[in-house]
Amino acid sequence: MKAWLKFSPEMVNKAVITDLIKNYDVSFNILRADINPKGGKMLIEINGSEAEKGIEYIEKAGIDVSPVKRVVKKDTDLCIDCGACVSICPVKAIVVEEDWTVDVNDTECVGCKLCTYSCPTKAIKVVE
Amino acid sequence: MKTIEEINQRIKDGDAVVVTAAEMTQIVNENGVDKAANDIDVVTTGTFGAMCSSGAFLNFGHTDPPIKMTKTYLNGVEAYSGIAAVDSYIGATQPSRIPEIGIDYGGAHVIEDLIRGKDIELIASSYGTDCYPLTELKTHINIENLNEAIMVNPRNCYQNYAAAINTTDETIYTYMGTLLPNMGNVSFSSAGALSPLLNDPYFQTIGMGTKIFMCGAEGYVIGEGTQHNTEVQRKNGVPVNGAGTLMLKGDMKQMDPEYVRGATMPKYGSTLYVGLGIPIPILNNDIAQRTAISDEDIVCQIMDYGTPKRSKPVVIESNYKQLRSGSVEIDGVEIETSPLSSYKKALEIALELKSWINKGDFLLTNPVKLLKSEGSSPRPLSIRRQTVLVNEIKSKPLITANPTDDIRDVAKRMVQNSINHLPVVDADQKLLGIVTSWDIANAVAKGKNMLKDVMTKKVVIAREDEPVDVIARRIDKHEISGLPIISKNNRVMGMITAEDISRLMCARNLKDGV
Ligand code: SF4
Ligand code: SF4
Repeated sequence: MKAWLKFSPEMVNKAVITDLIKNYDVSFNILRADINPKGGKMLIEINGSEAEKGIEYIEKAGIDVSPVKRVVKKDTDLCIDCGACVSICPVKAIVVEEDWTVDVNDTECVGCKLCTYSCPTKAIKVVE
Repeated sequence: MKTIEEINQRIKDGDAVVVTAAEMTQIVNENGVDKAANDIDVVTTGTFGAMCSSGAFLNFGHTDPPIKMTKTYLNGVEAYSGIAAVDSYIGATQPSRIPEIGIDYGGAHVIEDLIRGKDIELIASSYGTDCYPLTELKTHINIENLNEAIMVNPRNCYQNYAAAINTTDETIYTYMGTLLPNMGNVSFSSAGALSPLLNDPYFQTIGMGTKIFMCGAEGYVIGEGTQHNTEVQRKNGVPVNGAGTLMLKGDMKQMDPEYVRGATMPKYGSTLYVGLGIPIPILNNDIAQRTAISDEDIVCQIMDYGTPKRSKPVVIESNYKQLRSGSVEIDGVEIETSPLSSYKKALEIALELKSWINKGDFLLTNPVKLLKSEGSSPRPLSIRRQTVLVNEIKSKPLITANPTDDIRDVAKRMVQNSINHLPVVDADQKLLGIVTSWDIANAVAKGKNMLKDVMTKKVVIAREDEPVDVIARRIDKHEISGLPIISKNNRVMGMITAEDISRLMCARNLKDGV
């Protein structure tokens, strides 16, 4: 699953994430991070058999976890299936299907919005 | 050997054999060219791509009292109206005159909205004459109440087109779409083996009067497009880069919004996606052979759009099979590719045209004059005013600082020389960073001492041999006021500032009497 972790200033210097990875069977990937002394937030992807337990652990440790509900949507009336967005996506969430239709894969998307800025018909949107 | 008349008779009788260019490639592969030339009557092609050089003539009809329109705006987009009294030409790339809208709604969008049957606001003004006394009007028009709405596109349907890549370290926004830094992606535009002019590469069948599929309606080729180029290097019989072009005409009242679309290339401008399909009559073996070309046989050069010059360096040669696979390899790195034109729609168009012909609705025409297949190449425009290069500008004597300098000393030096930017260099005069007077003020306020703690390390630079106009654009884009000039061997040579450039422009304009 994907989630935003919000750190309070006190949390920034604690090794919560390190402990999470050490003590739980999870694979952990940082997709975006914006951390400074005043706290910060981080977009992560967390998987593995103990992912749920791991999340419980970091929540208890004081990190605010909000699962990502962002969805990338393509308006099929506006989209002309040109494919300009395909190579822009950093995580290959946009693919060209067998019949040359351009499709967006919601579960892969990290919500970076690069595609929305690059689409010539403004057909693709990221909604929270 | 067949004639167009014979093919048309077969179309009328319901006996014509029509295939798409994609199908033809396979048929020739399997049955050989002789049999294919015999069996097949027409090959249909298709493309649906961004074609900036497009527009439409509109005739509004006369008002009472009449007006001789000299300025017209359609939904805020200016159309050219220096043509008689109530005609105007709306061009696809004209942006809205409202700054907040700009390129997000341009002539291309007006054209799409007209074809969709929407109402469009028309504002017109004039100077008034004895026979045309009205000087201003504001009303609404739509495609129904226009006398004519004729799309006339001066340059469409490029025969091949270079793909684009960006070798610089910043994202650039071009008519080829968004190009990621450090060769982050490749953008290509041709429909390859489906593309009309790649299936008749020597213009043996296409010419003035060829009837075509244009945006869902019947349209016509009315001649070579502007910049028609017959002298581009060929491989496998087809040009490896942008070459032949078409000038086209079609009735907007018959067009289908499925096959024409207003769009905006981000931070570049508005453009019109035009859906085109051309039927190629298979008159002989050679024509059959040419329509059998495959994506793999069509070479496409990938060019560096990071160079803002007319002739862009070729990074690598690829082909459409490779480009369409989703990635190309350059220097051992897989780089993702994106088409800019819709292959899905291109296929739809080729199939739609095929069904028109099969139904007997669409007969082929004999062109009155074939397109030029030799002796045509566009010349560049030379500018009377020579471009000035960075190293030709007189700049102030170079003053630099070292990273370990004390902030107060640096501040003093800047005040004494009345400068606002100071490049920070190492012992070899190599650039390490830059400080502005604002950085210094900020540092003093925060109680910092050493220059290296406050300097900006990521510096936008100017090369000695770059034209000043390119630097002016860079200053604008990065919202900065000056950049260090760097020599070929990476030494700091001086500073060029917005002030230097405006002084130069002023002097230039004075001299030219502008
Ligand atoms: S928002 Fe970003 S990650 Fe999601 S589909 Fe668009 S480019 Fe890909
Ligand atoms: S860039 Fe826009 S129009 Fe083109 S395929 Fe992507 S979503 Fe569709």
